[in-house]
Amino acid sequence: MDDLDPVLLSVMANRLDGIVREMTNTLLRAARSAVISSARDFSCCLVTGDDQLLAPAEGLPVHIFGCHIQTANMRRYHEGDIRRGDAYLDNDPYGGNTHPADHTFMVPVFFEGEHLFTSVAKCHMADIGNSIPSSYFVLARDVYHEGALVFPGVRIQRDFRNIEDIVRMCRARIRVPDQWYGDYLAGLGSARVAERRLEEFCAKYGVATVKRFIRDWFDYSERRMIDNIRRMPKARLVNTGRSDPLEGILPGGLDLKVIVEIDPEAAEIHVDLSDNPPCVDVGLNTSLGAATSAVVGAIFNALDKDLPRNAGSFRRLRFTYAEESVVAAPKFPHSCSVATTNVSERLVNITQSAFAQLGDGHGLSEGGTGLGVGMAVISGKDHRRGDAPFVNRMMLSTNGGPSSPVADGWVNYAIPVIAGLMYRDSVEVDELKHPVRVESLELVQDSAGAGRQRGAPAQAIGLTPTGNPVTAVISCDGQHAPPRGVVGGHAGTPGETWLVGENGHAERLPNVVQVTWQKGQVLRGRDSSGGGYGDPLQRDPARVLHDVLEGWESREKARMVYGVVFTGEIEDETLAVDVAATAALRAERAGA
Amino acid sequence: MDFRISVDTGGTFTDMVVLDPAGRLHIGKALTTPERIFAGMQGALAVVAETLGLTVRDLLSRSGILIYGTTRATNAVVTKRTAKTAFLTTQGFKDTLTLKEGGKPGPHDYSFDYPDPYIPRRRSFEIAERIGSEGEVVRPLDLDQARGVLATLKARGIEAVAVSLLWSIANPAHELALGALIEEMLPGIPYTLSHQLVPILREYRRASATAIDASLKPLMQQHLREMAGDLREGGFGGDLLVSTSVGGCQAVEALIARPIHTLKSGPAMAPVAGRAFAAVERMGGNAIVCDTGGTTFDVGLVRDGSLVYTRDSWLGPRWLGDIIGTSTVDMRSIGAGGGSIAWIDAGGLLRVGPQSAGSVPGPACYGRGGDQPTVTDAAMHLGYIDPGYFNGGRLGLDPEAATRVIAALAEKLGRTPDATAAAIMTIANELMIKAIGEITVNEGVNPRESVIVAGGGAAGFNIMPIARELGCDTVILPRLASALSACGMQHSDIVFEATRSRFTDTSGFDTEGVNRALAEIEAELAEFRAGLKGAEGAPARVELVVEARYRAQVWELDTPLPTPRIGGAADVAALAEAFHQAHERVYAVRDAGSPVEFVNWKGRIAIGLFAPPPPPDTVAEPYDPPPDTHRPCYFAETGVRAPTPIFRGAALRPGARIAGPAIIEEPTTTIVVTPGLSADLSAAGNYILRCGG
Repeated sequence: MDDLDPVLLSVMANRLDGIVREMTNTLLRAARSAVISSARDFSCCLVTGDDQLLAPAEGLPVHIFGCHIQTANMRRYHEGDIRRGDAYLDNDPYGGNTHPADHTFMVPVFFEGEHLFTSVAKCHMADIGNSIPSSYFVLARDVYHEGALVFPGVRIQRDFRNIEDIVRMCRARIRVPDQWYGDYLAGLGSARVAERRLEEFCAKYGVATVKRFIRDWFDYSERRMIDNIRRMPKARLVNTGRSDPLEGILPGGLDLKVIVEIDPEAAEIHVDLSDNPPCVDVGLNTSLGAATSAVVGAIFNALDKDLPRNAGSFRRLRFTYAEESVVAAPKFPHSCSVATTNVSERLVNITQSAFAQLGDGHGLSEGGTGLGVGMAVISGKDHRRGDAPFVNRMMLSTNGGPSSPVADGWVNYAIPVIAGLMYRDSVEVDELKHPVRVESLELVQDSAGAGRQRGAPAQAIGLTPTGNPVTAVISCDGQHAPPRGVVGGHAGTPGETWLVGENGHAERLPNVVQVTWQKGQVLRGRDSSGGGYGDPLQRDPARVLHDVLEGWESREKARMVYGVVFTGEIEDETLAVDVAATAALRAERAGA
Repeated sequence: MDFRISVDTGGTFTDMVVLDPAGRLHIGKALTTPERIFAGMQGALAVVAETLGLTVRDLLSRSGILIYGTTRATNAVVTKRTAKTAFLTTQGFKDTLTLKEGGKPGPHDYSFDYPDPYIPRRRSFEIAERIGSEGEVVRPLDLDQARGVLATLKARGIEAVAVSLLWSIANPAHELALGALIEEMLPGIPYTLSHQLVPILREYRRASATAIDASLKPLMQQHLREMAGDLREGGFGGDLLVSTSVGGCQAVEALIARPIHTLKSGPAMAPVAGRAFAAVERMGGNAIVCDTGGTTFDVGLVRDGSLVYTRDSWLGPRWLGDIIGTSTVDMRSIGAGGGSIAWIDAGGLLRVGPQSAGSVPGPACYGRGGDQPTVTDAAMHLGYIDPGYFNGGRLGLDPEAATRVIAALAEKLGRTPDATAAAIMTIANELMIKAIGEITVNEGVNPRESVIVAGGGAAGFNIMPIARELGCDTVILPRLASALSACGMQHSDIVFEATRSRFTDTSGFDTEGVNRALAEIEAELAEFRAGLKGAEGAPARVELVVEARYRAQVWELDTPLPTPRIGGAADVAALAEAFHQAHERVYAVRDAGSPVEFVNWKGRIAIGLFAPPPPPDTVAEPYDPPPDTHRPCYFAETGVRAPTPIFRGAALRPGARIAGPAIIEEPTTTIVVTPGLSADLSAAGNYILRCGG
């Protein structure tokens, strides 16, 4: 086969990109639960008929790897009986999926009788029938205790019609089933939209050209990856990190290790995840899909921003896993309930900060971790609607983002696996939808990890029920080991959860907790902040001035940590850097 | 009165369109003069006045209406020259403008800082009060504390005040009390109350709109009054109207009170023009309106004869800028235009943009030091541009420079310069095809059942292959394409919107509350109409729309109300069905079993003060004009460079038929007629480009 005209290659790649965007838009706007429509906890992609990732959306980095395993399983389970009009549901963490909460909708796309693509929409459902009212269950001893309904590549539509048995099964078990069904329609609609567009795409270009395109697009992507890795230094980066403890179960947390070997000659990056703890009897085990995605996402943070993310560029990544481990190698029936967050958040941080070992100009600091109060799953009965039950994950406050060699941290970061892509909930919308009131929501002064580039500050929130008691499930991995700085940057600050009684007495709660609280009590939370990049004494005084004027950092911290001295006052807008005093103080500090 | 003037002052050019008593449109262009806008306006007027054999003063004094479109507010925001504004909000929520709504471009891109809030935190103040979601007072307004804050504002020399409290839409008492306190303690200082400006749910959007509006008040009050004064001195005695972001216009005093509505008013007029041109050519109710400039490509829609609106319009880039929050005409902009730079990436693929040579240094052929190949250089190299006639001959071009940079790129690519230049055009087209694809897909409009209306100076280079690729058979390219927005103003209505937030759903429909909201909206519209000078007897259209969604969705769809009031269950069912249809059109699915929630109710009145000139009922006699000259041009379709017929627009009469390949040159625009396709000049004087297979 001849190579495709490069202009046509561009044009066709662009068309596929357009299809994935259309899928994404459909899902985002049509979804019901806030976890999809606000928090954007979903992703869409196109996989080839022979199970290679072709076009991912700008979806969450933690979804990027594994869909090709799910489509392969779909084909294997239903060999000889897959046809146009079918759709499949998969959420099996042992079959390539991230974790059971991610319902993955797969539509095989046929043209002239041939299965050429599978369109895939993966959405985090607000509820999946777990034994507790949360799709995140940290303390699940095993899959039975976890209780999720699991669908290993199950057919849910034939001839474009629901197989109602499956829908009824879900409705019989999943909390607030109408909300689930709305999200089901949105996910399936998204995959069906892609099917229509892909059929048009094939009709326009013909099967032969489409196949040549796929081959050439993977080759092009691989060439980009080769070029990028060749420009990196040869190195073996070893980095470790630790997750938060679990009271009475994992008192020391989990010690995690990632080894990244960059080989510019072979134009390959080898990731070794094998030296990690064995599986644990809680929901922290990470699936192959989630853990690999976390690490791949963090590697892409260190690569060219427009590098295609597909099976072609992935050819230059190699992975080594343990036989059985909490990282990427779960053993049945261990639970992977929180596979996409807790340990995966740490894996992103460990990997992206490992690249800083290459020296100033490389890598990122660690970003804030943990789903705290502002991102809790809340549930209960709504007194305003005849005590109708509700359950949802909020996205009201978020952790602070990491800093890079050139930029300060991103405020609306959420967690490392979301990487700032989510939307925040509106306070008014959440108060309308749920019987809770937000008492306050604000940035925390002096919380950011200092550095030449500063991490983003933490946020703090207070929540109170307006009617019946409300239950919050908080599975936060960010209250003990704070996000670390790199290249001389300081660590960020950890999160906290408090329950404040009517008498004003505040009780500190553990990082993983299920709490039911009453009207008059306030559930107060503080998220973690991003780590710093580089020496704070080298921070541009103009940036420090800006931070102090804006109240992100105090005048005291500016002097003590950044070595910047001011004249004038914030209040009358006369605040200015005292250049001489700053130079003297910084020289003194640098010498000390 | 015999003349009607519309002026669109852009960042670079001031476009002027004048309607003469015979119903003919005349175009004038001049450089914008930011220090005194009226000077540039006079320059453009002089161009038209000369063709009419009048003086500028004569023309002004014989004009009954002048519609002014301004980018002054937009520029003030972009260059951060708005008033020193304070933001007042509920205690505990000072960071609303900082936290915004989330979202970030690129999951792997950490090369940019988090954006500053529209009003700095040091000028944001918390007021001790709280209203709940049902409008109940959770914490009464602490007047002493509020007085203390206002005293601080006074001491710090604050020039404008934005007040946006949580749930003021459910109970405005605290905002009103603060308004009264501002009048008392800071007399003369302009202020905006959120529930009066944009009574919509979602605190960030409301706060952002309020902050932007307040910050523009001192400046726009001065500017618009100065403009009115300059016009009066220039001899103008008619009505001064100002164009708005909803694609209409309003009396100048209305916009002095709510200057936010002047933002993005220029682009909003392009679909108004598109609708008018599609109607004149009797080409149906769906139009895709494209405006191609030097650095941006803007695209908007007309659906079933109506403009398409959005509440998701940003000043600056999405997520990084500030949301406008008010309803605006949905016009999407991408960074693709004549200045976009072509380059080869590390995988060997030809790319165009997003970097742009802008206007300085500009494309290489401008001869101002640009050494990167741009889309304009590609068009130049292909022979599409007459170097001596570009922009009416006012800007001399250097074709050798274009060929030089294209050839250098071609060598790296291993292709001929001709093939390379054609490839640059193809890839640039792709960016525009994608932008059109997104807005049409989002809005459920099928390009195959729509007409494209193309405007902007650079539209004609590539609109035909774009239309063909989209499956769109017909493009209307008006002779005055380069002043599309100013054309739109000639066809615009006086448009006013009133909004009420009244949350309810189909399972427990609040008939009384909704009807009260609708009555208030209609009363506000009626009051507006009654207050309008010279509008007695003018035709008025009222549209009622509700922003609705399925239960638990967070994003609403605009749904037209089938009935002006909700009488009973049948009306609620009809309203729900209207929503199901909108949802199915946009998202391809409906959930008939789900309750539908209703959030914000809107009324929009459009008063047609001046009827557009009637479309000509003549049919132009087709004829084949002789070309003016020939020039060698290269087309991707033929793969050869061959002598190509060049037509001067001035020599063409209605009925002219031109088969591609050919070039049509108008003073302010150039049309490339693709091989195999054709163009003709309609009786109404528009080019109709036939792009069907």
